[in-house]
Amino acid sequence: MSPVRIVDALGTWCPVPIYLVDRAARAAAAGEVIELLADDPLIEVDLPAWCHRTGHELLELRRADREWVGRVRRAG
Amino acid sequence: MSGAYLDHQAASPLDPRVREAMLPFLGERFGSPASLHEHGRAPAEAVERARAEVAALVGAEADWVIFTSGATEARNLAVKGLASANRALGRGIVATALEHPATLAACRTLERGGAALTLVEVDGAGRVAPGAFAEAVGPETALVCLVHGQPDIGTLQDLPALVAACRRARPEARIHVDAGETAGLVPIDLAALGADALTLGGGPVGAPPWTGALAVRPGARLHPLIEGGLQEGGKRAGAEDVPGIVALGAAAAIARAELAEHAGRARALAARLAAGLLAVPGVRLNGHPEERIPGHVQVSVGDVEGETLALALAARGVAVSPGSACTAHGGKAAPALEAIGLEPPWTHSAILLTLRHTTTEAEVDTAIAAFADAVAALRAMSPLAS
Repeated sequence: MSPVRIVDALGTWCPVPIYLVDRAARAAAAGEVIELLADDPLIEVDLPAWCHRTGHELLELRRADREWVGRVRRAG
Repeated sequence: MSGAYLDHQAASPLDPRVREAMLPFLGERFGSPASLHEHGRAPAEAVERARAEVAALVGAEADWVIFTSGATEARNLAVKGLASANRALGRGIVATALEHPATLAACRTLERGGAALTLVEVDGAGRVAPGAFAEAVGPETALVCLVHGQPDIGTLQDLPALVAACRRARPEARIHVDAGETAGLVPIDLAALGADALTLGGGPVGAPPWTGALAVRPGARLHPLIEGGLQEGGKRAGAEDVPGIVALGAAAAIARAELAEHAGRARALAARLAAGLLAVPGVRLNGHPEERIPGHVQVSVGDVEGETLALALAARGVAVSPGSACTAHGGKAAPALEAIGLEPPWTHSAILLTLRHTTTEAEVDTAIAAFADAVAALRAMSPLAS
């Protein structure tokens, strides 16, 4: 499945990445996948916590070198 | 006005519709777009309307647009931000030899940090051959910089051919198009071009020159220069210039609707002006004879120094810039003139005349007459003139 929305949070620090992914989720339709690019290590904690709190599905959170790619499916 | 104002690249009077649009945000609509209370709502909505208008002008989506303090900041953000976030692609940067000084300076800074910068030469009219440009793009190229309209000599590049050639040579490279002197005057479509980022400046769009934006395709990867806030998606922290952004949006909407008419008139006036200036013996037009920014005329007079001529014209009520609006002081030759192969005295005898659709035929004719008079007077007292 290819993401329909890419959120580039590279170079930003907490809380900006979560703010950006939350804004994208609010604009997305149910079932849409959002791909988050981030390099703030706190995203390892923040993204799962935000998904738990909002009900959106965390499909993937993988680390590549010093960056993270998170994929979230928007809840219905 | 009995004189002539032909320095619109430096500054231009605002269209009354643009001024009217921005005024409430200097008064009763003073709030911060970030505020949760009622005062924040109108500014926030106005900023997002402006974002959509700016995006529509350059073939982008609204959420690609990052507002900046002008084209210079946008160029810096594009060059440094794209290169920094795409280090994995390589160390190479390829740019035309005619980039705006802001782009060149940002590239030089990256070169100091280890990047490998290649500047591609241009022909005598300032055009870059797509084949030659693509040859400079290799497997280590991370960033490509292409200026659309050169601010000093006015030459327009064949962007679709250049972008396509770069993509064939290195599909992964990030391509920044500098439309800081052209967006608003010449049609441009970032999505159709297939480039990754585009700089635009407020002046040519019809907004204050301290406004501008960078449009960045999603996934291009960009690091911010100014950090520490949620504004502009975290890519440009700091309180928004709401009146300026609103002005840029209003001007973008007007430019999109009236661009063809404005450009046609500016081109016709520039042709009239160039013909009048070139009627004086020993004067050459710099840049491409046809593929030019509308309303842009730069000439060199050979045996008359550019700054002196600009002052002589000012004394006759005609406002122009010596050589380039950006290097109007210091007596330095504009790098663009050297890039097209000019040597002294041609590199030091240029003046830049820029007009808009609002310029009158009378202003053009006044400038032509003042130019002939000033050149004759300066030649009469010059030991260089024969």
